[in-house]
Amino acid sequence: MRFTISREKLQEGLNAVSASIPTKTTLPVLANILVETTDRGIRLSGTDLDIAVSTEVAADVEASGAVTIPAKKLSELARELPPAPVKIAALGEQRITLECGRSKFKLLGLPRDEFPTFPVVRFNESWRIKSGDLQKLIGATVFAVSTEESRPILNGVLWELRPEQMRMVATNGHRLAKMETPIVASSAPASDLIVPPKALEQVRRLFPAEEELEVARGENHIGFRSPLTAVYTRLIEGPYPNYDQVIPRDNDKYAIADKNALISALKRMSVIASDQTHRIRMAFNSGMLKFSVTTPDLGEAQDELPIRYDGDQLEIGFNASYLLEILRFMPTDEIKLTFKAPERAATIEPEGWTDPATYMCLVMPLRLMD
Amino acid sequence: MPVISVLPSAVADQIAAGEVVERPASVVKELVENSLDAGAKSVEITVQEGGRALIRISDDGAGMDADDAVLSLARHGTSKIRTSADLTGVRTFGFRGEALPAICSVSRMEIETALHDGSGTRLEAAGGAPPTVTPTQRRRGTTVTVTDLFYNSPARAKFLRGSRSEWRAISEIVMTLALTRRDIRFELLHDGRRSLTAPPASSLRVRLGALWGVQYADGLLDVDDVAGPIHVSGLVERPANVGTATRRVFLSVNGRSIRDAGIVRGAEAAYRSTIPAGTRPALYLEVAVPADSVDVNVHPAKAEIRFQDRWTVERAVERAVRRALGTFDSSAAMGRSFFGGITAPNAHVQVIESEILAPQAEDTPLFHAASSSADAADVKDYETVARDIAGNASTREDDNIPPLTQLRRTYIMFEHEDGVVLIDQHSAHERVLYEEFMRAIETGSADSQRLLLPFTLTLSAAELEAFDLNREYFDKLGFEIEPFGGNALIVHAVPLPHPRFDAERCLRDTLASLTGDRTPSAHGRHERLVATIACKAAVKGGDLLSGAEMRALFVALRDTNLPAHDVHGRSTIVQLAWSEVDRRFGRS
Repeated sequence: MRFTISREKLQEGLNAVSASIPTKTTLPVLANILVETTDRGIRLSGTDLDIAVSTEVAADVEASGAVTIPAKKLSELARELPPAPVKIAALGEQRITLECGRSKFKLLGLPRDEFPTFPVVRFNESWRIKSGDLQKLIGATVFAVSTEESRPILNGVLWELRPEQMRMVATNGHRLAKMETPIVASSAPASDLIVPPKALEQVRRLFPAEEELEVARGENHIGFRSPLTAVYTRLIEGPYPNYDQVIPRDNDKYAIADKNALISALKRMSVIASDQTHRIRMAFNSGMLKFSVTTPDLGEAQDELPIRYDGDQLEIGFNASYLLEILRFMPTDEIKLTFKAPERAATIEPEGWTDPATYMCLVMPLRLMD
Repeated sequence: MPVISVLPSAVADQIAAGEVVERPASVVKELVENSLDAGAKSVEITVQEGGRALIRISDDGAGMDADDAVLSLARHGTSKIRTSADLTGVRTFGFRGEALPAICSVSRMEIETALHDGSGTRLEAAGGAPPTVTPTQRRRGTTVTVTDLFYNSPARAKFLRGSRSEWRAISEIVMTLALTRRDIRFELLHDGRRSLTAPPASSLRVRLGALWGVQYADGLLDVDDVAGPIHVSGLVERPANVGTATRRVFLSVNGRSIRDAGIVRGAEAAYRSTIPAGTRPALYLEVAVPADSVDVNVHPAKAEIRFQDRWTVERAVERAVRRALGTFDSSAAMGRSFFGGITAPNAHVQVIESEILAPQAEDTPLFHAASSSADAADVKDYETVARDIAGNASTREDDNIPPLTQLRRTYIMFEHEDGVVLIDQHSAHERVLYEEFMRAIETGSADSQRLLLPFTLTLSAAELEAFDLNREYFDKLGFEIEPFGGNALIVHAVPLPHPRFDAERCLRDTLASLTGDRTPSAHGRHERLVATIACKAAVKGGDLLSGAEMRALFVALRDTNLPAHDVHGRSTIVQLAWSEVDRRFGRS
């Protein structure tokens, strides 16, 4: 194998792939990047066995072949190289030489057949999705995923693909985020996928917003593909809990509040709230929201915020950090809160959002002891 | 006037009843065993008010003729053995000839029995009086109806628990019998409701599926091993599943269900190093040994047996279970790596976040010097450290925390003026949570997070009873739990003592270890509950802690009332004095 590549192209390829290289691994070859020659240049691939990323960059290929190169060292070199074409050649299965201007390096790689094969995903039956739509959904939901190991299913984002629309849902059992958006009709069958958030972050990062992606499902993984770049990930095996049944339909009390003012008030209250549960009390009165916090051994706090509310008086407790987190992702300046009762789920939605997508977050209250 | 007289037989029977007939469940057990010994293929058990009002066992077994029926109510009237030589190697459930007369002596009893479909015999007796015999018509088999149990022994009646808890004991007994005799059809009705239907099953797995769900049964591992004359078979839990469901133990030796701590110990020994310390696997084991190597006539209810060579049996069980666990089948179904052909080694090196143990600067040390006596023990329980932690909590800044290092994922180590100090992370956290929970119970101020997806717990009868006993305290601790029909509870809200808290597992473990808890006073009960929950909710030895978690634990422990001891009375803090270290290096 022998090829010449510009320093910029090499860096571009390495940047795309290096995030998928595990920092700690017991399988030495996973610390390496697989470099293969193609018709158009070279393909770089990396994986941690859960997620695999591969991308193609332009290069002048003199002799075809494939080898794996230590990822960390190659990235460090690419950063420090002088601005000149980079010549990379493999001698046999493992030894690699890299030349750039007057700099010369010899590296020890590993044979390519030690590198894991990529999962089989057939793209003949696939969805075509605009990367920007996907980024929007991922950004609005992935924060709500559970990080606890006790319920692995909640460690993933539920992605429902339907002929005319798609929806992502994530929850940790205390709060939930859900966004759906119309998509161009697809012939691929409706599908429910539970995707690890790490993979979605990669997808969000790697594909430009205007690009159209092909998405297809293999046996227990899923592939995302643009003409140059592909991401594969393991799926979490379902079934996902029936989230639809816990979304309240009969919340009859509405409040509209200014998002930033609400955030400021919540942050003030959080200072005094318990470190463990961040419990604050919110009392909704006509036109006014009153906050209060009492934490034993620490102190008390009160605050008020004018809001639009004309329902019956309602007192409800929340984990302030859940509210703050959700508000951070609300795309509008005003938000709408809905309630039923102090022990029932509350929802938060953007108010006056003109986007074709719809967004809703749900948060379960904390019990108030009087 | 003679002082000593021979007791009338009715009194003798009542005394015997004290041993055999402890509560309604023992009546059910004795009567069902009689049915099984009579070769029944189908047994129907009807119970009302937890067996206090009515117990009826109806079978299609051999039946008796009129004479035998009368004899069966006589003390030591038995069809199962004839001579004392038969006692060795007895294979029937019963043999003492005690059960029927004993039960009859403390209840009103009605027996209907027939050798063939058609004409049969009906006996009625009460309080052990001679029965009235009348002819009757019925199908082949025997129906024994016991009503008003303990009507004539108020002392015993007083010790009965509520109908629900007696009912639970009955249902546990019937489940055990259903596991022992899988070829028999069992039906159990309580207050007119059908609570169990178990058709004849071809295997233990099928029967378990009928009792506790096919999914649960399918998750178990097969055990099957022969060591000399000992055959061990059955099903055990996968190490990865241990602790996720109610722990149940069923043992049978030569087809007789028994309790035996030794066999359980043997089986658990096989799990060593595969499951975290403190968790215990569910076991369903059947041991077959030569009939002449066990003595079953040890316990009046035959719940225990004696082995001629206990050691060999325990080793055989351990070996059998270990072999089952050693199979590829036993590894957890994780579905992690999707790339075919690549198998990564299991062991993996984890770099633990630690900080360099720098000598402390000019700050006043966290712990004051203990009197450094020359004869300091190698490692001493460091009470003074503890007192200092507590005493100085209010006067010190939280950032005055020494660098902490986690060792073996179990201990937190730090340097102190007087030596190296180790904290057991589990014990320490247990202490912290114990005091937190006690405060919550006393003030009723526990925070409680409502759950979006309430979860259900399916419990054994004993666990359900433990929950009932402690219900108000669970509520005060921030759990919102409601009955969910049958043996299930639904959990709507949970406390959040720490971010890693796994409420489901904590509740399961807590209820499992509270079973059989009969602490009478409410005060003692809530302390015990809190100690158990604290233990189950705390981080375990083996959990990797981040630097921030270690610091938080350090501060929290410092603020407790009794930092040096955990709730079981073990030490949480241990110190190795510098004087001792110096001596070992020859520096003194």
